Amino acid sequence: MLDPDPAPTSATPPSRPLGETYDPGPFYDEMFEATGKPRPHYRALAGELGRLSFEEFEERRHAVELSFVNQGIGFTVYGQDEGIERIFPFDLIPRVIPSQEWEVLERGLIQRVRALNLFLDDIYREQRIVRDGRIPGELLFGARHFVREMVGVDPPGGVYAHVAGVDVIRNERGEYLVLEDNLRVPSGASYMLENRAAMKRTFSKLFELHGVAGVNHYPQELLAVLNAVAPPSARGDLTVVLLTPGVHNAAYYEHSFLARQMGIELVEGSDLVCHEDVVYMRTTRGLQRVDVIYRRVDDDYLDPLVFRRDSLLGAAGLFNAYRAGNVAIANAPGTGVADDKAVYAYVPEMIRYYLSEEPLLPQVKTYLGSDETDLAYILEHLGELVVKTVNSSGGYGMLIGPGSSSKERTAYKRRIKASPRDFVAQPTIALSRLPIYMEELRPAHIDLRPFVLSGRITTVVPGGLTRAALRAGSLVVNSSQGGGSKDTWVLHD
Amino acid sequence: MLSRVAESLFWGARSIERAENTSRLFDVSFHGLLDTPVADPEQEWSDLLRAIGRDELFREHFDDYTPRAVTEFLLWHPANPDSVTASVARARENFRGVREQISSEMWEHLNRLHLLVSRTRHSRVLDVPHDFLVRVREGSHAFQGVTKATLSRGEAFEFVELGAHLERADATARVLLTGVPRLVDGPGGRLWSLLRSCGGFEAFRRNQSEDVQGERVVEFLLLDRSFPRSVLFCAERCLEAVRFISGNSQQLERAVGMLVARLTFADVPQLDPPSLGTLLGDALGGVHAVGNEISDAYFETRVVLPGPYAQQQQQQ
Repeated sequence: MLDPDPAPTSATPPSRPLGETYDPGPFYDEMFEATGKPRPHYRALAGELGRLSFEEFEERRHAVELSFVNQGIGFTVYGQDEGIERIFPFDLIPRVIPSQEWEVLERGLIQRVRALNLFLDDIYREQRIVRDGRIPGELLFGARHFVREMVGVDPPGGVYAHVAGVDVIRNERGEYLVLEDNLRVPSGASYMLENRAAMKRTFSKLFELHGVAGVNHYPQELLAVLNAVAPPSARGDLTVVLLTPGVHNAAYYEHSFLARQMGIELVEGSDLVCHEDVVYMRTTRGLQRVDVIYRRVDDDYLDPLVFRRDSLLGAAGLFNAYRAGNVAIANAPGTGVADDKAVYAYVPEMIRYYLSEEPLLPQVKTYLGSDETDLAYILEHLGELVVKTVNSSGGYGMLIGPGSSSKERTAYKRRIKASPRDFVAQPTIALSRLPIYMEELRPAHIDLRPFVLSGRITTVVPGGLTRAALRAGSLVVNSSQGGGSKDTWVLHD
Repeated sequence: MLSRVAESLFWGARSIERAENTSRLFDVSFHGLLDTPVADPEQEWSDLLRAIGRDELFREHFDDYTPRAVTEFLLWHPANPDSVTASVARARENFRGVREQISSEMWEHLNRLHLLVSRTRHSRVLDVPHDFLVRVREGSHAFQGVTKATLSRGEAFEFVELGAHLERADATARVLLTGVPRLVDGPGGRLWSLLRSCGGFEAFRRNQSEDVQGERVVEFLLLDRSFPRSVLFCAERCLEAVRFISGNSQQLERAVGMLVARLTFADVPQLDPPSLGTLLGDALGGVHAVGNEISDAYFETRVVLPGPYAQQQQQQ
């Protein structure tokens, strides 16, 4: 391991301004207003990084990578060479968010997630928002992730989405926009924590120069949320578990990491057994009652008696135990209806309806295939829009209008006409960029996933996971598509 | 501790120990046959395969007991679930699912061993097996050493110990059960190979320097309290582990206790050959009984249902 912060010696080459040849281009660049001119909140960082020679920078990058590999962070790829562990690529240049920007983001995110939780509570009970005509019922009840079995269930505290990963982007003017809400089993929190740990080891001095808000308390906050939503019937020491699909899941590392950080059991479906509406886990000392389940298994696989019958990942009887109020499940089943891409269009309306407030964070204009006027617009402007299917995630089934061939557009038109409800379209957004360091500074498009926790109150850990499209020019930040991540610094004043 | 976690730790440790024992057993036979003239080498190989309980399986896949066939079968043949390769892979699979329970050093050593057995070219091993076999044993020893040096003493540690020692007791008992009947009229060299097969040659030598006698060797491998591969030593270590883990284990404690008692009160030099055979059979049977009770006590947690459900449950 390198000395994390070698003192500059007299042999240090004279500092050269960072980014003297870097071209921010026509996009909003987070770091540089113009070539060689960093924005105020990046100046100290640019100065420090500029003092490092290429070799020094490479050494540090290598040290970080090595520590990730040794800890086995990332996902395992199986194939001919069984057991190759690939790490989620990490870039050393952090994303910096000044405190006044973060305050707006934080308030906007909390407002949004509060509204989404109220919405879920409403549509699984009274459905007032539909009766008052603010959201078309067919949009909700036809959504694939609307879980009928949840109607009338009483989740403790009325919280459905305990953990929300809200993806935020910035457009060419630098405005923050919500791109999508992930309310089912959002992942990435472990990268947020590991990235920070790696940066602290590698660039200790930068942290002294900047006042960076800590993120380490995320596991404790999450555990507090899980404890807070325990069913009222639970007595004595609570048993909280993390339910994982198992070692073959791509996010298994995160499951294991969070369970260790929270000091709770990491269980698989086969470890659980339900009897008379109570959930137990099988231990070497017999059955032990389980009170709260932080599940990282999709709705469909939770309980073969209620959902997919071929599922081996859940536990038979789990849902009945949940309905009976004997166990809490976070996130609640059925939260997926609120992150449906068509329902997304109505989130500002939800905020007005439930909170009587105006949305603090704007979102991307969305045209619905189910709306006749919108549909006509979509079909006419296919070349300028990004078209998505409402039920899929991870960038599948997307048409990016600019850059598509006329053949692709014709094929897509046919699909949209066949089932308009399944499609939404949004204007193409020029995502903001931030340099990544690959032998030199190179621009990369980025997004941000902060993690919003809801227990008795709703909070956001200052920061989140910044994902960057490492491939030149690419707009896709998903890890499976060559995306990488960066540490995210929220500054104190 | 979760039953699944306990089971993975137990079987992970057992599998590594099994890889080590198989490689030692094969190493001894293979090199013993190189310079010891024996009337029927095929019989030797067949004995070895019977010792690990895989003679029938071998004959399903090979016609003759050639050194090459036995090497392939014991080290990596896909049909053999106890091959060295399969054992190491199983150990890795088991520990992979419970990584948060073991130290990263343990995981790293296990990975190295796994890379060794999965990446070494078979042609090279067939050429000079010794090098490979030694490295497998070293890998197992490194793993065990690192476990003792880095893993907190707790339930996880005790399950690892339980698995390793039960497997070792099983291996030593098996070697004795097949090897002892042939001592009676065989050449003296067999005693050495018996000791070597259990990794006890040097320890025995240090302990007893007089003429090597059959019953002394058997007594040593079965009952020596200081030799870490003797059946009694391993059984006593299992008993300690079971007492530490405790929980729902009355039956289990009784099974281990019976094994320890049977061995403690045995007087090997006084036994005639049939009684010795019975003792060895009881030892191996006792080891198996302990294995079953461990599974019942810790891994097969069942819902014990009151009333009418109970009967249904029992029928299943």
